[in-house]
Amino acid sequence: MDTTNPMRPYLGTLVGVKDLATDIKLFRVELNDSQARERFTYRPGQFAFLSAFGVGEAPFGLASIPSRGPALEFAIAKVGTVTRALHAMEAGSIVGVRGPMGNCFPLDEIKGKNVIVLGGGIGGAPLRPVIHTILDHRDDYGHLTILWAARHPSLLVFTDEYDEWRAAPRTELHLTVDQGDESWTGNVGLITELLEKVAPSPENAVTITCGPPIMIKFVMLTLQKLGFTAEQMITTLEAKMKCGIGKCGRCNLGEKFVCVDGPVFTCSQISRFLESFV
Amino acid sequence: MKATTRKDLVAWLAKLMEKYTLIAPAAVGNNVLYKRIASTDEIAFDFTRTDMSPKEHFFPDTQAILSITKRHGEVSLTEPSLEREQVIFGVRPCDARALRVLDALLLDHQPADAYYAERREKTTLIGLACPEMWPGCFCTSLGGAPDETGDVDVMLTEAGGGYLIQTVTKKGERLTEGLALSQAGQKRPRPKLSAERVPLPSPEVWRQHFDDEYWARLADRCLSCRVCTYVCPTCRCFDVRDEVIRSGVEGSIIHRLRAWDSCLSEGYRRIAGGHNPRPTKRQRLRNRFYCKFHYCPQDFGPVACVGCGRCIVACPVGIDIAEMLGDVDKWVKRET
Repeated sequence: MDTTNPMRPYLGTLVGVKDLATDIKLFRVELNDSQARERFTYRPGQFAFLSAFGVGEAPFGLASIPSRGPALEFAIAKVGTVTRALHAMEAGSIVGVRGPMGNCFPLDEIKGKNVIVLGGGIGGAPLRPVIHTILDHRDDYGHLTILWAARHPSLLVFTDEYDEWRAAPRTELHLTVDQGDESWTGNVGLITELLEKVAPSPENAVTITCGPPIMIKFVMLTLQKLGFTAEQMITTLEAKMKCGIGKCGRCNLGEKFVCVDGPVFTCSQISRFLESFV
Repeated sequence: MKATTRKDLVAWLAKLMEKYTLIAPAAVGNNVLYKRIASTDEIAFDFTRTDMSPKEHFFPDTQAILSITKRHGEVSLTEPSLEREQVIFGVRPCDARALRVLDALLLDHQPADAYYAERREKTTLIGLACPEMWPGCFCTSLGGAPDETGDVDVMLTEAGGGYLIQTVTKKGERLTEGLALSQAGQKRPRPKLSAERVPLPSPEVWRQHFDDEYWARLADRCLSCRVCTYVCPTCRCFDVRDEVIRSGVEGSIIHRLRAWDSCLSEGYRRIAGGHNPRPTKRQRLRNRFYCKFHYCPQDFGPVACVGCGRCIVACPVGIDIAEMLGDVDKWVKRET
């Protein structure tokens, strides 16, 4: 990040925009300046602000890993003013990028362990770098279990990658939707029900969860029932932010800031927060 | 100690205006506010507590932090810069002390805020000691004093119809070079202190009482009007949004604006999609108090309250931050 003025974005160009699901698109951004590209080194779990100049900026989890290509990727659901403006943009448009920000998933520390990834809806975006990292260094990790959920089949993200995920050694993918449609033949039900059915073993395992706050809460309760300790459960939290550097005050949970103390936390850290994230 | 007369002080301030932007207390309607003045005639020399602190001259209530030009699909960014150095006259010790809080948060906590850093660097503070503590004042409970000199560059104390002068920093020494001084004929008068002391609960007490029903009762009458955060010399929450200044076929000019915000706003924590982890007034008012007395000390060092008393005077429903501290302390005494 440019340390002289952390509120000044880098300029970037949209090099690709692709539909991922209903009202969810994947944006691929390349930074215009070569120095900025050099400085922008990031790790799975970190996030960045994207600017739609004239409308504003908002923080998004980085959905890519640097080793798979120079483009920064963001999976963005159209839910607010900035995301609506971004969705209206086409390849070639100029955007602003501030980041990378926040901490990251402890992917080095969990080498050798079985990893259970639980993604709900657009919450899958910051988990894709975890999945890609494990798939690209498959021998460094144990069994990979992906539980992937959405409200509806049309809202499942990264569907074009499921074959790659399933084909990887020691990797399984389980899908579920809250409500199916005529072509859906898979699981119907909440991710917590799927989790009880799959019932992964807590032995030598960690879980990494992202989704709506209410989902994170109940996933943690279910994991607890399955015997996982609070230290084994990792999650990443979303919050409204205006700066991303611990100044604007927006994202505090008690004395912690999601932007600089997180967004990645263990369940054990979250349980010690004065304020609830839900 | 040196002294000067009101007349010589005014002449010096007028001279400073040639080189600096001069900001001083001035009457604006029924209020006394720190504003940029064009003539020393505008300065209100006899005032008690100004209605607002001079915070806005370091951290403006609304500020363009970027100017964005879009032309034929190209985008260029420029950052504003403060062209003229500024001098603020008549800063009260509590408001100067409030800058310690903003410094801790915006400068010391990395990365530093570039806009605040520039204004802090380019500003010299001329303090004015308070002769007494006014209704609502409780600076002494928070480590300050009506005549505290540590946070300004030059300190003035009214005495015998003129002013006693203390230069505190090198910046202050340079600034007072053109001021006509004589040897002071008297000692610095001591301010009248209020006997009342407001207690400061410990971190354990704050943790223990987070879920107390007290916060619901207190917030019951809060109107979420946010005036307490608006008048506060240490509140620093901000919002950022873009405003299109000019738009035409050739392109557009956009200002990215940063504006004061308040954690008491209903939608302050609401994210796109609707989830709001702090939907009740109880949670929001509690957050304001906890931020000041529990979170800021842990995260950044100083307590984020200087006892200026403005929020106590301004609150339309009589929510009193000093009384709140007393209430929290009372439970502790009851329990032990």
